Amino acid sequence: MSDNIIETTNLTKSYGDFTAVSHLNLHIRKGSVYGFLGPNGAGKSTTMKMFLGLTSPTEGSFHIEQRTYPRDRVAILKDIGSFIEAPAFYGNLTGEENLEIIRRILDLPKSAVADALELVGLSQHKNKLAKRYSLGMKQRLGLAGALIGHPPILILDEPTNGLDPVGIHEIRTLVRSLPQKYDCTVLVSSHLLPEVELMADDIGILNHGNLLFEGTLQELESHAESQGLPTYNLEETFLAMIDADNQNRGERG
Amino acid sequence: MKILFVETRKIKRTGYIPAFLGGGLLAGLVPAVNMAVRAETFATQPGSPFSILMDANWQLMAQLNILLLVCGVCILYHTEYEENAIQKAETLPLTPFRLYLGKLGILLFSCLLPLCLEAVSLLLCCIHWFPGHPETGTLLLKGMGFELVMMLPAAAAMLVISSMCRNMWTCLGIGVILVFMSSMLPSGNQVLALFPFSAPYQMLHRCSDSQVLLLPAICAGEVLLFCMAEAAYHKIRRYFS
Amino acid sequence: MNLLTLLRVELLKIRRSKIFWILLIPAVMMWLPSAMNADINFVMNTYEVAPEYNYFIQGYMGMAWFMIPATLMICAVLLNQTEKSNHGLLKCLALPVSAAGMCLAKFLVMIVLTFVQLLLSIGTYYASAVLASEIHGYSFVLPFAYVCRAASRIYLAALPTAAVYWMLSILISTPIFSMGLGLASIVPSVLMLNTKVWYCYPMDYPFYILMTEYGKLAPEVFDTQIQLMPMLPIAAVLTVACLAIACIRYGKAERS
Repeated sequence: MSDNIIETTNLTKSYGDFTAVSHLNLHIRKGSVYGFLGPNGAGKSTTMKMFLGLTSPTEGSFHIEQRTYPRDRVAILKDIGSFIEAPAFYGNLTGEENLEIIRRILDLPKSAVADALELVGLSQHKNKLAKRYSLGMKQRLGLAGALIGHPPILILDEPTNGLDPVGIHEIRTLVRSLPQKYDCTVLVSSHLLPEVELMADDIGILNHGNLLFEGTLQELESHAESQGLPTYNLEETFLAMIDADNQNRGERG
Repeated sequence: MKILFVETRKIKRTGYIPAFLGGGLLAGLVPAVNMAVRAETFATQPGSPFSILMDANWQLMAQLNILLLVCGVCILYHTEYEENAIQKAETLPLTPFRLYLGKLGILLFSCLLPLCLEAVSLLLCCIHWFPGHPETGTLLLKGMGFELVMMLPAAAAMLVISSMCRNMWTCLGIGVILVFMSSMLPSGNQVLALFPFSAPYQMLHRCSDSQVLLLPAICAGEVLLFCMAEAAYHKIRRYFS
Repeated sequence: MNLLTLLRVELLKIRRSKIFWILLIPAVMMWLPSAMNADINFVMNTYEVAPEYNYFIQGYMGMAWFMIPATLMICAVLLNQTEKSNHGLLKCLALPVSAAGMCLAKFLVMIVLTFVQLLLSIGTYYASAVLASEIHGYSFVLPFAYVCRAASRIYLAALPTAAVYWMLSILISTPIFSMGLGLASIVPSVLMLNTKVWYCYPMDYPFYILMTEYGKLAPEVFDTQIQLMPMLPIAAVLTVACLAIACIRYGKAERS
């Protein structure tokens, strides 16, 4: 039995003529932080939405802890904490009340709310209405909604969007520490390589729905070398890889 | 003219035109359904077919028209407030009052759409259930022209309310309450009948000779009054902000 | 997760949403002018119904014809908007809870809100009846049991309407359009009530129930008994069908 907690086989999602995700084969190790990297519109969010059952694949399949949709939807979602796209919340409720809703649905102990608020540094603002939060605070509230109850799998879609440099650093450190602290696996997406570089054990690079690379950072370096791409700076490697893929597509087009 | 063109662009893909089209069709269905289910009641009534049809249906049709107007106005200003486009408009060499006038122009044209559909429906009902009345076409044209003028004060008033409310729900709520209250007003009172949301219930064939000119003149006065109120509101708002 | 827990979660979501005012304003708007004009019940009363009964029936006419359906439509759209305005629904759909369960729980919230408005309408009726009695020196106050029974029947008859509006608010995602269509559907309800197939139009039910109440006082005006057949089975089928469609379509846009 593999030690991958999430595995996809030729996972594909198309909307009419447009293919958002194409024959994706991902392997996410248990207890790792997996950085999902790609420019805007590469298909990261769509893949994550498929993992959450928010959209169904057009082709291919995937397994999460050997379980799959739609049969095991509730069982899978019980084990996943998620943060997708823009922060999702109820503006008429306070930060604490927003988490209370999630707590009740997940049937967690009452202390889980305070714990999650503490974890993202929102304890002081727990009684403020969520619609009055700054963008960074909304982002933290979304993260608290994902972290509440310490789920074994975390799916975080660009969690540092809208945060200031201090906030980015805090969240990055938090994500990095999660596997050790709570024995969980994290799938985190970003369009910035330096960010992923500081958080992830493994990375997957996606462009136009295709997986260009999957492996550790060291493996990325050697892969780039073999492809004749620059390796002195990982950001340059990433950009060159995307550029080469785009040119390749242009030629094919 | 330029502002009218700009405003026309803004309503693209908002569903505004389909709403007026759908609303017109729905109101047009009223006389058809009413005649279909109660033909014998109306076909035997004395008077011109136009008056019979208007008396039997206009109350409902007018109410649908005003509700449509309320929703339309909400859409018009919602496009400004939803993504804060109004802020951009305010930084351009354009007064908010001209924006209002542009929207009023749009409303004037769009009210024609349901009224035309309703006229077609009434005409078809006349042809089907009251054959041999060639004068109906002219009466319908005059009648619908009159109704267009009667709708204008409500349009102007709703636009003033809408321009004041950033929240579409507040505007919609006020509009619905006004529509409801106006339908509850006693019908015999001449002064109350000219309240902007009551005027669309007036019918040309029920007007005396003097009223035929007086009512549109009063409506024009009301429109002017609401335009002045809008201009004053912007002046006051600028003074306090 | 059981429906009761979901209902509690859904009730928590509407905290501070101003829905209470949407329930109260129509009731006050309906009964305050009635108290002011209560004297018309002495003069404009063709069927010689006792003024206090006429006062009650005339007041509830506006409620049953327009205010109750309009309130239901507004509540349905607002409940949906609370979910959509800040992607709250997207978060909930990524939680281990069934979308259909959430949809049903939200409909239950609508029923709770309808019940709250029933209480508010009874409360405001009594306040206005007392006020009218003070102003005109004639007691407009009716027995509590009669008022409760008549008002409850009207609101009970509004449940199929609630189901239709709940479905509409889910099927038509643009709030102004679902709202517009809902409001437009109220207007021809009196016309529909005069047709032979009135029972196929759920928006007629509250008004029909009130009219039968009127019929009991003035038999020349309307039926004196509620024609349960075929209204009841049709209402049940319509309610179940609307709720089933609503449950199937709930959150589809977020999941597409």
